[in-house]
Amino acid sequence: MRKTHILSLAVTAMMLAGCGQGLLGNGGGAQDEAKGPIRLGMLVPQSGSEAAIGPYMTNAAQLAIDEINAKGGVLGRQLQLKAADDACDAQTAVAAANKVVTEGVEVSIGGYCSGATLPTLPVFGKANIPMIIPAANSQELVDQKLKHVFLINGTGTQQAEAASKWIAKQGATRVALMHDNTSYSKDIAVRTQPLLGDKAVITEAVTPKESDYSANIHNVLQKKPDFVYWTGYFQEGGLIIRQLRQAGFKGSIMVGDGSVSAKLGEIAGPEVDGVFATMTPIPDTLPEAKGWIDSYTKKFGSAPGPYSNQAYDAVRLAAEAITKAGSTDGAKVISALEGIDGFTMFSGPLKFTPEHTLSAGGFQILVWKGGKFALQDALS
Amino acid sequence: MTQLVWNGLFVGSFYALVALGYSMVYGIIKLLNFAHGDLYMLGAFSGFAVLAALGGVSTAMTLPVLLAVLLLTMVSTGLAGVALERVAYRPLRGAPRLSLLITAVGASFAIEYGMRIVAGPDPQVYPVRLSGTAFEVFGASLTLPQLVLIGVAVVLMVGLHLLVAKTREGRAMRAIALDPRTSSLMGIDVNAVISRTFFIGSALAGAAGVMAGAYYGKIDFLMGFLIGLKAFTAAVIGGIGNIPGTMLGGLVLGLLESFGTYWLGGEWRDVFAFGVLILFLTVRPTGLLGERVTERV
Repeated sequence: MRKTHILSLAVTAMMLAGCGQGLLGNGGGAQDEAKGPIRLGMLVPQSGSEAAIGPYMTNAAQLAIDEINAKGGVLGRQLQLKAADDACDAQTAVAAANKVVTEGVEVSIGGYCSGATLPTLPVFGKANIPMIIPAANSQELVDQKLKHVFLINGTGTQQAEAASKWIAKQGATRVALMHDNTSYSKDIAVRTQPLLGDKAVITEAVTPKESDYSANIHNVLQKKPDFVYWTGYFQEGGLIIRQLRQAGFKGSIMVGDGSVSAKLGEIAGPEVDGVFATMTPIPDTLPEAKGWIDSYTKKFGSAPGPYSNQAYDAVRLAAEAITKAGSTDGAKVISALEGIDGFTMFSGPLKFTPEHTLSAGGFQILVWKGGKFALQDALS
Repeated sequence: MTQLVWNGLFVGSFYALVALGYSMVYGIIKLLNFAHGDLYMLGAFSGFAVLAALGGVSTAMTLPVLLAVLLLTMVSTGLAGVALERVAYRPLRGAPRLSLLITAVGASFAIEYGMRIVAGPDPQVYPVRLSGTAFEVFGASLTLPQLVLIGVAVVLMVGLHLLVAKTREGRAMRAIALDPRTSSLMGIDVNAVISRTFFIGSALAGAAGVMAGAYYGKIDFLMGFLIGLKAFTAAVIGGIGNIPGTMLGGLVLGLLESFGTYWLGGEWRDVFAFGVLILFLTVRPTGLLGERVTERV
């Protein structure tokens, strides 16, 4: 019986391509739950189009776990990471969520692609597992008002507000919004548009994963915009920036937080200079994060990337909530999370709103300068 | 308006190059090679590897260097296509078509995720970029690299057409397409000709891959999926198995997308383009230039 159980686990793990972490920590389902490690589940893309993001988040989570374990763990138990691959795909994500639930995770600290995270909400909800979602930030995640869902990244609404503030500050009068039709990206564009009113001259959807966006860019340039806001991910973002400039666009370009990556500049080439971004605080813009970047780099041999700091904070927040609750019981952890006030995170002191989002989105405006994003305006 | 036409033709020439391999393979062994788009990806990556090996030599004489890289890549991608056929398709030559189709899907995943293991999931950026200042022709702004790329595509396509229509090799291909068994009775080495067909088709996809890499700059291990689908569409629109038809199909698909985006907006473009595909499949399944032939069983 036990043999077949392990076998089926291994098969599931193999089916989820590239799911190294899941295969490694195959300790034991038969252990006494109260004495074994506290397992934290983490669904992130490790294969598929967004595969590059996975390691940034799992590494940072592992860093936080190692630090906490070195100090004696939580409630006398060690923390253990159970990462699984959601491939940024709804079906894969549900399968992965079921897998980590059967592995006995107590808190979920994953979620990058909103479209893949959304269908996992009921899976964790049924198992009474609180979810601290580090990166995914579509408004749809909290629209259902589920008790167990907490977002520690600013929401689409908050990002849209920051974007429209900056657009107004720049004095732009004709703004083109471009999104890639995914839940996350469309959310920001659709929420930015009414804030701009008459100034939004076109909302253009592109097909992700293509190389040539000349037809979309032609549409956008027909409206003679002086400001373009791209709300999708960095791969298309880099191409769109380059192709906009090649087509002779002279106005300002701004990108959303999914495009904040060093790769954006590599793909766009020199045209990326002066591109703005709406983004929550990143290690690069936080002076106090210097030591953190160093210890991350020392441990993993590469610098932290997008959402490393949120993943790190998600683990710390989970540990804090479990400590406060004095148990890993789902309902107790949830009320502990709701009661948290002033817990220090990269994005500032944390307090959740009644709908379980950050009370302050903390979005800032970055600008690409000298080979990387730097702080332009804190919008405070 | 002219800008729309130009954008459509430029994208369409990529579709056409990739679609040709699809069409040739289908024409000769009735196999929809779903791994074909991934050969385009392999081409882009092998071009990237060659350029990386060359190091910084290239910046001064970008175009000649790129042409040399193009040739090298075509050879290596062509060989990859031959290997693919030998390993994945030839053992199943007599098997039901469905098995072949499933093998092709499997081969596609194997190539994609094999490349992910080799090159990593991060997108790579070409060290050399083709860029030039835009100039206006009849109200459309175009650049020199675009013209060169279209020129290369046209040369390759004309060369292919001459090869198939005028040479002994081409005659052998056409004979096998009509009836492989009789061809072998007539002394044609069927396996060798099929191998060479895969070589040529894959080399064209590889060429398109390098050109896309050098022009757009970004390559990743999944880049072949969507263009494979588009190439299949182009081949069906033009008439799968028919070479001039396939070239036409690629250009038509490029134009459909360009005008679809303009008329209906970006989110409706694929609905429009693939709607046309469905229309063709129902009204004229043989495509624009395909001939109606009775199915042999």
